[in-house]
Amino acid sequence: MTTDLNTILPEILLSGFAMLALLAAVYTGKDKMAPALTWITAGVMGLLALWIATTGEGTNPAFGGMFVDDAFARFAKVTLLLSGALVLIMGQEYMERRGILRFEYPVLVALASVGMMVMVSAGDLMTLYMGLELQSLALYVVASLRRDSVRSTEAGLKYFVLGALSSGMLLYGASLVYGFSGTTLFSGIVTAAGEGRAALGLLFGVVFMLAGLAFKVSAVPFHMWTPDVYEGAPTPITAFFATAPKVAAMGLFARVMYDAFGGIVGDWQQIVALMSVLSMFLGAIAAIGQTNIKRLMAYSSIAHMGYALIGLASGTEQGVSAMLTYLAIYVTMNIGTFAFILSMQRDGEPVVDIGSLNLYARTDPARALAMLVLLFSLAGVPPMLGFFAKLGVWQAGIGADLVWLVALSAVASAIGAYYYLRIVFFMYFGSEGSQIDSGRSPLLWGLLMASAAVMVLGVLNLFGVDGMAQAAAASLVN
Amino acid sequence: MSLFLIVALPFLGALLPGVMNPAGRSATAGVTFTITLAAFVGLLTNLPAVLNGEVVTNGINWMPVLGLNVTLMLDGLGFFFALLILGIGLLIIAYARQYLSRDDNMGEFFTYLLLFQGAMVGIVLSDNILLLLVFWELTSLSSFLLIGYWKHLPEGRQGARMALTVTGMGGLAMIGGMLILGQIAGSYDLSDILQNRDLIQASPLYVPALILILLGCFTKSAQFPFHFWLPHAMAAPTPVSAYLHSATMVKAGIFLMARLWPVLSGTPEWVMIVTTAGLITMVLGAVIALFKHDLKSLLAFSTVSHLGLITMLLGTGTSFGAMAAVFHILNHATFKAALFMSAGIVDHEAHTRDIRRLGGLRHLMPITFAIASLAALSMAGIPLLNGFLSKEMMLEEAHHTVLFGSHWLVPVMATVGSLFSAAYCFRFIGHTFLGPVRDDYPHTPHDPGAGMWLPPAILVTLVVLIGVAPFVAEPFVKLVTASLLGSAGEVPDAHIKIWHGLVPALYMSIVAVAGGLLMMLVFAPLSRLWESTPRPEAKVIFEAIINGAVRAARVVMHSLHNGSFTRYAMIAVVTVLAAGYHAWITGAVGVPTREMQAPGAVAIAGWAMLVAATLGIVFFHRNRLLALILMGIVGLMVSIAFVFFSAPDLAMTQFTVEAVTIILLLLALNFLPNRTPVESTTLRRFRDATVAIAGGLGSAALAWHYLLRDAVATPISEFHLANSYKGGGGTNVVNVILVDFRGFDTFGEIIVLSIAALLIYALTETLLDGPVRRRLLNRTPDQPQSGTRHPMMMVVLTRVIMPVVMMVGFYIFLRGHNEPGGGFIAGLIVSIGVVMQYMASGFSWTAARLKYPYHGVIGAGVLVAGFTGMGSWFLEKPFLTSDFTYVRIPPFEKFELATAALFDLGVFLAVVGAVMLSLESFSRLARRADMPDSDHPMDIDPSREKPSPDLRTPEPEAH
Repeated sequence: MTTDLNTILPEILLSGFAMLALLAAVYTGKDKMAPALTWITAGVMGLLALWIATTGEGTNPAFGGMFVDDAFARFAKVTLLLSGALVLIMGQEYMERRGILRFEYPVLVALASVGMMVMVSAGDLMTLYMGLELQSLALYVVASLRRDSVRSTEAGLKYFVLGALSSGMLLYGASLVYGFSGTTLFSGIVTAAGEGRAALGLLFGVVFMLAGLAFKVSAVPFHMWTPDVYEGAPTPITAFFATAPKVAAMGLFARVMYDAFGGIVGDWQQIVALMSVLSMFLGAIAAIGQTNIKRLMAYSSIAHMGYALIGLASGTEQGVSAMLTYLAIYVTMNIGTFAFILSMQRDGEPVVDIGSLNLYARTDPARALAMLVLLFSLAGVPPMLGFFAKLGVWQAGIGADLVWLVALSAVASAIGAYYYLRIVFFMYFGSEGSQIDSGRSPLLWGLLMASAAVMVLGVLNLFGVDGMAQAAAASLVN
Repeated sequence: MSLFLIVALPFLGALLPGVMNPAGRSATAGVTFTITLAAFVGLLTNLPAVLNGEVVTNGINWMPVLGLNVTLMLDGLGFFFALLILGIGLLIIAYARQYLSRDDNMGEFFTYLLLFQGAMVGIVLSDNILLLLVFWELTSLSSFLLIGYWKHLPEGRQGARMALTVTGMGGLAMIGGMLILGQIAGSYDLSDILQNRDLIQASPLYVPALILILLGCFTKSAQFPFHFWLPHAMAAPTPVSAYLHSATMVKAGIFLMARLWPVLSGTPEWVMIVTTAGLITMVLGAVIALFKHDLKSLLAFSTVSHLGLITMLLGTGTSFGAMAAVFHILNHATFKAALFMSAGIVDHEAHTRDIRRLGGLRHLMPITFAIASLAALSMAGIPLLNGFLSKEMMLEEAHHTVLFGSHWLVPVMATVGSLFSAAYCFRFIGHTFLGPVRDDYPHTPHDPGAGMWLPPAILVTLVVLIGVAPFVAEPFVKLVTASLLGSAGEVPDAHIKIWHGLVPALYMSIVAVAGGLLMMLVFAPLSRLWESTPRPEAKVIFEAIINGAVRAARVVMHSLHNGSFTRYAMIAVVTVLAAGYHAWITGAVGVPTREMQAPGAVAIAGWAMLVAATLGIVFFHRNRLLALILMGIVGLMVSIAFVFFSAPDLAMTQFTVEAVTIILLLLALNFLPNRTPVESTTLRRFRDATVAIAGGLGSAALAWHYLLRDAVATPISEFHLANSYKGGGGTNVVNVILVDFRGFDTFGEIIVLSIAALLIYALTETLLDGPVRRRLLNRTPDQPQSGTRHPMMMVVLTRVIMPVVMMVGFYIFLRGHNEPGGGFIAGLIVSIGVVMQYMASGFSWTAARLKYPYHGVIGAGVLVAGFTGMGSWFLEKPFLTSDFTYVRIPPFEKFELATAALFDLGVFLAVVGAVMLSLESFSRLARRADMPDSDHPMDIDPSREKPSPDLRTPEPEAH
């Protein structure tokens, strides 16, 4: 029991902190506490990430295998905690200035993070669902945090109802799986499923679970909520949506697919590959006509999840490793990009129109250059880090004989490059028009520059992320 | 010098110009020059090895996980290109020092230039194709920065965008091709790939790989149909145009085709695609070039044409063609760079590049004239200049090439291309330099300083030297050709000579030059004809395609993501259905292992009622009251179904829950209009109905499938059946599960239920303080209100029945452990009893008679359950371990006492409290809205007979 509790100590600490913070804020300054609380929450999450990264070792199942702490979980946890913490800090000033920084926000983010941590550590359908719902419920609220905005509440409501639908599908699938295998433990399911082709009864369960999981990673055709939520939510929250939850959802996806259905790869590989292709193409094509940069980032994230899914679809250790590397790089790129979007404003009002970036390189060459690097990286143009992310999943895909998938994905990335390059074009060669001023937040500036620097300097050795991802993948696939 | 250093020098050196900027323009240019010179010399130190036919390689592992190693390789081909890049680079740097004006930021320019140079050298020296890709795209990036260097030129924008879009996309497509190639060959190192010609060409993936790679090459080297971006990128400063768009970057595609020639060439696909593209590009570029008035545009299209020529030569797939290609690359680089620099000099001096405003410069700029004419004549293919030699070889090769089964297609096209090529060269000389001196130049030109004309002069010296003495270049060309061919072919033993005798190529050449001269004579009418002929402009087509794509994307996305929730849900449902169907048809459907039960008359009747009620809801749902009643029927039938399947507990729970929710909905109806308005079209309803029916049938089929088959594992119910009495002391398994086996779950659930109730309370409380309160107070009921708020019959009945309900609840609670019942159901029954009091006798009346607040009841429930659980700690058992015993208290019979019953009491209290608190909270909204509450439950409203005409006026209260 004590060992079990020790294993989930990070989760206990973070949830304890969240509840204490909630109580403390309610009984003291409420929203006046919010800025401090945001920083403290980010600090706690950062420390936890550090702690998990430095102390974790080996594979430690807890509660009879319902919860697993292994290298894979730790990799995902560190990524999602760090990105969550950074996004919190990043948006603090933005939200405070616009009067939407409520003290619930950091608390909800902390709770969502607990949910995500449980998700990536799930070793059982129950744990999976618990983590998923904890994360989702917090996210539903966060999505509609701006209660007085029709857009925001509508987006939040749609997200909630569709999310409930997908949760229902997932649960239905889980119950079918349970009905087939007689256990909710992943280790038991993988034994019951056996190797090779799955029985039809199990297959239905897998299909429904896939649908539910696809919703969480916003893979096509369960992606519909993404653009609306990204557009409707305040930008810092959009930034959050684009980072940590994606890592968690992909982590969970990989965990279920390998731990529970690792023996019947052939049965789900095609479905995942199909979702991947659809996501990549839809993301690439839909973004072409966008003028709102947040909506564009929504489609961009859909496409990126498509690429990450190639790693998952390959069904190999190399694939998982490539997927994790992809996610880490994706998150870093997105933090930089959103740091830039957060700083886009005109007369103190946030601007999200791409046209407002016309000739931005003239007003602020440094930021424009950093953004150029990030956009090239998002497009996957060598030698930026984004290319290595794509390269990894492509190699994994080819290694798994999914050459058609890789070829299509190369085409999709060529189409997708158009809209990233279009922004670069606007910044450097656009026409004269009303300019934006980019605020004076040294924090956002620093994050943007740091993220861009990572995209360039990372080519030396990817900061060793690939090695860690490999170790993480090895702990999942065996 | 180590190959690493050669590649790294420009990159490392790129930091310096920026630093040197304050030290002056010459210092900045000087340091750039020195860096390039160092790399150049470094390259030359490897010359002996290359001349010996060795392949110099250096390599370290970079990211072995990705198969990405920094392995560099220097062979003849690489050496040749590196020599061009660095050699011409030196000349360009010297030239740019003079060309750029004082206002231009030289540090920035040279930084970008060195970055570009490093990337180019990287491409030609890479052994690893992934590394090559990295450098490949790096050239796109640095060239973008270079093109964008002159940000103030508006015409540059479109060009830069197009260049970036076209080459960027091509490059990304090429990555896919390279990966496939590496996969076929089993290695990403060129040295391995080049050995596997047969393996690669036999692979089924050869064609996709070829197409993807050629996409990259064609976009980069501006081959048809991607030829249009190059001329538009010419807005860049002339040194950039000369360097990127004629000598180096656009040759990257050619280089790659040459590099992969040993493994990719020779197949019908290769010949078909590459030769055709090259041929079209050659002719098209030459024709357009002739009619361009801008010197740089003319040169740009001529570059396109010559790149097409080289591509065509590579496409033929013969050794001789490859040798001609290599030789022409060399020659083209020399004369074209010289021409660009000359054009730059003219632009720099006369302040215009428009041929129509030039002429007669021969007298004003004799040196420039000499340089430009020699270079242009070489390009036209005049003997004793190097262009003639390679053009002869091209025509010779064309003469032997059969394309699409035709023997004359290639030779004729090649001659036509050469003819136009000669014509634009003559025009370049004639209309710029010859003719009378004009007096309306924007700026009177004269020869520039030696710093500007020396670089092109050096190149022209080469042009003449090779042209006169081809044997000087021959060994080198053969060396390069040998390394290009690799093991795929033998270097032809033909010699490069000025005079081959009266061969067909010579006649073709003569026709071309003569035709070119003839064309100059009739240029004016020809030009008018050209101007008046409508022709497709590739740039316009490109823009139309892009705009069309953007519009199409918008249309598709708008119809897909129109914000409509039903559409989103529909897509999700349809997808799941399709996936389920896919699983069904691909999976192995097992044999049914169970028998269907024979349906009895009761079951069929129940089923019919259920279906009828459901259909009724679908058709009559606009009438809300009717829908609610039908919903009640559905609930009832489901409850009865539970009875039918021997689950009385579920039935009772279902039944009570139904009752409570229907009451709740009834309360809500008060606020809603009687009928739901029609908001959707018939077509849409039809669509929705189709999806819904498909979904319903799908889940029915699924249920059917599962009902007929046993699961793999033994059902968990067997465990519960076996242990219910033995371990939990109860014969009602459902109740034992709730309070014993899964007691902890239940404990959690009642807490959740309690929190939900408290939340509802808090929410309604907050709502009633906000704007909702105002709206409620101003609300006008849309229907006449009933006169009898508290009908006497109902009041009497509910009061009489209340003790009975309580008794039933108590009974149900007690019997729960062994018979159907339990705390949860009992709680719901008691709640219904109390709710009836509220409804019949009015809120205040009931509230005044309640002793305990619901919050307290909830708290008590949770505490009782919690303490019961903790009780087991005193016996050193885990939380919620249950125990039971039998006691006998006279005069009763022996009966059982279980701790589970105490726990069930907690459940009971929590349920009663939670349900009542929620309903009470909801009813607050109603009370606030309609009516002042009455303490007199049996009031009679005298106005009931004739409803008040003005419904706004509240009814006077009768006290």
